Order: sequence, then structure tokens, then C-alpha cells
Amino acid sequence: MLYNKYLKMHIKSSLEYKANTIFLATAQVLVFVAEILGVWMLFERFDTVAGWGFYDSLLMVGIVMTTFAFTECFARGYDEFPNLIKSGSLDRLLVRPVNIYYQLFGAKIEFSKFFRIILGIVISIIAIININADWNALKIIVLIATYMCGCVVIFSLMLIAAGISVYTIENLEFVNIITNGSKELAYYPLNIYNKWLTRLFTFVIPVACFNYLPLSYIIGVGNIPLWLCAISPFLGILFIIPCLIFFNISLKRYQGTGT
Amino acid sequence: MKNTYVSIFKMQFKGELQYRAKAISGIATQFFWGIMYIYLYMAFMSSDTIDGFTITQMASYIWLGQAFFALRYPGMHKDAGYEITNGNICYKFTRPINLYNQWYTEYLGEKLASTLLRFLPIIIISILLPTKYSLSMPANFTAFILFLISLIIGGLLCVAISMYSVYLTFITLSPKGTTTIVATIANLLGGAIIPIPLMPTSIQSILNFLPFRYISDLPFRIYIGNIGISDGLVQIAISIVWLIIIIVSGKLLIKNALKKTIIQGG
Repeated sequence: MLYNKYLKMHIKSSLEYKANTIFLATAQVLVFVAEILGVWMLFERFDTVAGWGFYDSLLMVGIVMTTFAFTECFARGYDEFPNLIKSGSLDRLLVRPVNIYYQLFGAKIEFSKFFRIILGIVISIIAIININADWNALKIIVLIATYMCGCVVIFSLMLIAAGISVYTIENLEFVNIITNGSKELAYYPLNIYNKWLTRLFTFVIPVACFNYLPLSYIIGVGNIPLWLCAISPFLGILFIIPCLIFFNISLKRYQGTGT
Repeated sequence: MKNTYVSIFKMQFKGELQYRAKAISGIATQFFWGIMYIYLYMAFMSSDTIDGFTITQMASYIWLGQAFFALRYPGMHKDAGYEITNGNICYKFTRPINLYNQWYTEYLGEKLASTLLRFLPIIIISILLPTKYSLSMPANFTAFILFLISLIIGGLLCVAISMYSVYLTFITLSPKGTTTIVATIANLLGGAIIPIPLMPTSIQSILNFLPFRYISDLPFRIYIGNIGISDGLVQIAISIVWLIIIIVSGKLLIKNALKKTIIQGG
């Protein structure tokens, strides 16, 4: 299969610079450890925020970390789409007789993110053991869906950024605000922020669907109907539909940059 | 000799001023993060004060941090890391110039220019916000003067700490990884990730013995009046001692690293 070949190629190339890959990965892990320490310090000082405790927040950190790292690792081609346009490499991909989506998944696989995926899973497990929840089969399904929803929403954001870059050529900073902003916002339950910020990240960009909504259901807090919280990750996944349509339209409009 | 560094500084300064579009989007980003952090900490600080640190003071602390973001973030000059890894550093050896001083002034120029481009719009917008979220006036006039002095020392300290990244790049040969590590440590211990007044008290007392909080925590807290005038003066003196220690040790380390540098041709 073609994807296996891509996979092998990227593993080989990252092993060429083994020390560098490991060093960069360690640096990234350190950044996350510092951020977790930040979350811990706030809860150490203030105990709870709007009824949520440290481990509730830690599970959100785990979800964000795992899903972001996973998506950035395997969908790096979409993340770096603006660079592909700028350098003209996109033209090369478009003339090949293979589906463009497929090729973009193989265009780049970033293994230095691998440590972060593992760290995210470890953090999630620590949090899951410590939170106050009566687990049952349904809750486990919702939790798994939450992780899937996270990956899909982040991937959708990459699609939007990629689609916009067809028109602007440049990678726009405000797109980074949305992706990185939602990342850091989602370390904490989104409903502690001001109303318009919460609404923006619930109804426009469904970050809440892998944040406080499903966790309200699992832990059993908050005043939103629990059935709605339970299906929220499934609703969040639908976000990909408009994003895919937008990306497709943009790709059809693509004319090349002449490089 | 003095003139050399002045012109290096000017060159960097002018170069950085070219990137106005980058600055505008940078300002928008800083602004968004500022608002986000204020909402976040407001949610945690459900009562209005915590050990004398009020919500208004917290908002001012955040806005100053956003306005002087470039001055408080220890990175590395874009050329320095590149020269070390690709070997172009050998050309620098042929020049009668102290490399530490050159890298230091280059990076200071870059930082100062990017600060000057960004800080004013953020300050103006944040003053105009509703009182609860706004940047308030300095505690008093003396505090403002001390704020300026400690901010300058903080900027110099930040560049001095950045020079450790340059030194470590000689060993790791990965400028990106090295700066990430140094910046993360400095940010965490200097109160750029979580403001120091919001940290657990036991951790605050440990951080008092480290140099990182003199980069931005001290000037900001003098500005908002969280640290008084006499206490502020003592701490400014301590920060000067730290600045000297870090510059002198950095100079020695880089001198040592340069002695061991081998250019492998190519």
C-alpha cells in the first residue's frame, strides 16, 4: 500500500537525524510539562474553578494534548499546506494520479510529535484514574468519541487554514490564534470564560464538544441536559462537513503561484 | 570600537522595522491572548483579591506582559543559531570583533525594535477597555520611574539569558530545540506562563532566589504597586547583580566554546 511506503520513508528520514529528532521532541515535551505545571499551580492556589477540580482540568489537558499531537503528527501535510503552495510543490502533487487528500496525508509525517502523543495518553490515564466518575459502557463510548471529535475538529481547522491560504498565499496569523487559542483555552473548562468566548468556541468552532460538554456528562456536573452533553462529541464531528466543502472549493480555484 | 556595536544595533533595528505587517498581526494575537488570560484568571480569582493582588492589578499585569512580550521572551537572534550550525561562523572569526558583544547587541536591537513597534497600540487599547479589564495607571510617579528602570534591566537580563541559548547551541547544534528549552524554563520560573502572584506561596518563595523573575515580574509588580518603592529599590539592586553574573558567566562560556570550535571545511 502506498501509505505504508510513505510511512517507511518518513520513519527513515527522521531516523537520519536521530539526535535532532529526539532533542526536538524532548524540548516539546518540556513545553507541555511547563504548561501542566502552570495548570497545577493555579489549582494548587485556588482549589477549584466553577466546580471543576484539578484532575477534571487535567483530563482536558490530556485530551487536547493527545488529539493535537496526533493530528499534527499524521496530518502535517495539511498543516503545512501554505508552504506547499508557496514553494509550488502542490502543483507536483496535483498532477499525480493519486487522490490529493491521500497524498497530503503522506506528504509529511512528523514523528517528533510522537512523544507528545504518548505524554498526552499518560496524562489522560492519570486524570481518568483520579476523577470522580461512575464509569459505565456508555461513558466509555462518549470518552472515545471525545478523542475522535478532538482529532476531527483540529483537522477541520487545518482544512480551513489550508483553504484560506489558497487565496492569501501567506499563512495568516489569525488562523494560528484560532488553533493555538483553542488549544490553550481548552486546558480549562470552556464555560469558565466570558459568555461570548464560550459561545464562539461552542457554536462556531466546536471545541466545547471535546472539552466541558462531554466531561459534564462523564463527571455529572453542570446544568446542561445530560443527553445533549453525551451526544456533543458526535455533533462536533459534523463540523468537518462545511470545512471539507470549503477546502474543495478553494482547491478548485487554485491556479498555481508560478514558482 | 564603540561605533561598531552602535551600527550593528542600528542595522538590526531598521531591519526589524521593515516587518510592519508581521507586527500588526502580532498585536492582534497579543490582544486576543491578553483578554483570554484575564478571563481565565478572573474565573480562578472568584474573590476580588488574593494576598493583596487584586483583579484590576492582575489585568494590568497581563496587559504589560502582552505589550512587552518581545522584551520578556528569551529567544535567539535568527542569524546566530544559523551561523553556528552551518559553519558560517568562521567568517566571523576573521573580524576583529568580540562575538558575544556582537550577538548581544544584534539581539537587543531586534528585541527593542519589535517592542517599540508593538507596545504602544496594546497599551492604548488596553487603557481604553472597561475598568475591570483595563490597564490602570501606575501606582504613583516614583513607581513609574522605577518601573522604567527595572524594565530596562529586565530587557538586558532577558538578552543575557538568551545568550545561554547561543552557548548551548554550540553543544546541541539545534538552535530551535535549545531556545525552546531555555525559553520554557525562563517563562515558567519568571511568571510568563502563570503570573507569579497567582502561584502557590511556597513556589513564590523559591522563585525569589532565581534570576528569572527580574525579567518582567519585578517591573510589572512595581508598576501596579504590588511591590513598594523601598522593596522595589532593593530588588532592582539584586537584579543588577544577577545581570552582571549572567553576562560575565555567559561571556566566559562562549569564549570557551569558541576556542573549541572546529570548522570542518565544506
